[in-house]
Amino acid sequence: MPSATPPATPPATPALEVEDVSVSYGKFLAVESVTLTVGAGECVAVIGPNGHGKSSMVTAVAGLVRRGGVVRVFGQVLPAASPGAAVRAGLVLVPERRHLYPALSTRDNIMLGSYSRTRRIRARQAWQDVSWVLGMFPELARLLEQQAGTLSGGQQQMVALARAMAARPRVLLLDEPCLGLAEAVARRVYDWLGEMTRTDMTILLVEENPVHALLVADRAVRMYKGLVERAEARPA
Amino acid sequence: MSEFLNLLAAGLTSGGIYGIFGACLAVWFRVCNVLNLAVGDFAMLGAVGTAWLTQTAGLPFGAGIAVALAGVGLVAWLFDRVVLHLAFDRGAGAHGIVSVFFYTFGLSLLLEGAARAMFGTDVFGAPAIWPGPALAVADFHVQRAGLLVIALAIVSGLLLWAYLRFTVSGRAASACGESVLGSRIVGIDSAKFRRRIFIVTALLAALFGIVESPITGYTYASGPTLSLIGVVAAGFAAFRQPGRAVAAGLAIGVAEAMLGGYVSTSYSDVLLYAILFCIIIVRPEVLGLGPEPA
Repeated sequence: MPSATPPATPPATPALEVEDVSVSYGKFLAVESVTLTVGAGECVAVIGPNGHGKSSMVTAVAGLVRRGGVVRVFGQVLPAASPGAAVRAGLVLVPERRHLYPALSTRDNIMLGSYSRTRRIRARQAWQDVSWVLGMFPELARLLEQQAGTLSGGQQQMVALARAMAARPRVLLLDEPCLGLAEAVARRVYDWLGEMTRTDMTILLVEENPVHALLVADRAVRMYKGLVERAEARPA
Repeated sequence: MSEFLNLLAAGLTSGGIYGIFGACLAVWFRVCNVLNLAVGDFAMLGAVGTAWLTQTAGLPFGAGIAVALAGVGLVAWLFDRVVLHLAFDRGAGAHGIVSVFFYTFGLSLLLEGAARAMFGTDVFGAPAIWPGPALAVADFHVQRAGLLVIALAIVSGLLLWAYLRFTVSGRAASACGESVLGSRIVGIDSAKFRRRIFIVTALLAALFGIVESPITGYTYASGPTLSLIGVVAAGFAAFRQPGRAVAAGLAIGVAEAMLGGYVSTSYSDVLLYAILFCIIIVRPEVLGLGPEPA
């Protein structure tokens, strides 16, 4: 009778599993059937031309639009169209065009990143819980009382990243984080992303520009016409 | 001096009315960028409903207030679940906001028609919460209901201001009005905030109607006028700052009373609309007519 030898270490649960995810807007099928897996601590880029479902896929994974299929975060199945459940499971999205709260201060924008986590009542206490993120973005310290809508595009992108970090994400989704930014600012964003890839954080990065994406990603998948077309390895 | 004080008391009382409806409009506008044109009708429903329940149906005063407030809360909840949910939460976006503005106008007409069918065209005043003759100090007289109106307006304004200024929940409510998607990605349930604040402002307006109706008396048709004067006060508060709306309402009321007392009563209404026109000319952005913020 053959005896099965158990593996020395059980296979690690993937950080993010996307199974057969589809997204439709009325009769238009934006994402046909996407399946991909991201390991814990891995950085995967989703590349491909505009209009082929990359943003629809990540917004669906984050629970912002209705979808078919299954999304798991560290094995936990996320309900569809429930962004609050995704954030509580540790999956946080930095959306394309940032979507800050322009009339609120930089401080409030960052503090609200922890909304589903801290359960604080007083805003001052909630800020104390998240003020550590300024260590990652020291340039924001002098802008805390400024309305977010009056910041430059690069500063707003830093606020969006700081807001996401205030949620203490285990899986970070970034949708075109450098869209519309000057090259110097984009480099600053990618420097920060490079630092994040050296932590245990899992990252799924949507990026139209494969040159940018493969600077930091361990591997890339290409989306075309709503489907994951092929995988690309990071250049040596 | 006593004439001045009496005019001041009258002005603060009417200013409290402006202020409270301005605050109700401002706080809901802050959350979902829509003016609730039915807020005055909730006040009418509270006042007329309480008066009818206590004076015609024979309920005790406390029970009458409780039933009227429960009815207003139920109407507000139903409107949110049926109409606002469809307009806001089904991906209607900016079209949803435009639609909801007219839906609240429709709700105003519906409540007006329902109140006319149920209560008739009589003038109703709920029993006074603090009964008794007007309080007098020398020649200075102020009605007890008037004091309650002023107190309720100030307390409501302060509470709403503190909620938005000092609490995480208040900041989250503001974030919903700034960016629905931005609020959802951090786990803020914008639909829940919209619903809660719609119901709370409906109840606040209804409570205010109950307190105030012994002074002016309400008919089925009182609602739109109350909503309109609330718009004036809210306009001074950029439609987003309920505390400032109460302060602006009190100031408008005092200015109106002083002008009516020392110049002519026929100017008081003119003043109200002149102020509104001045807002449009000097600060058009508060009425959504100016340039977009950066």
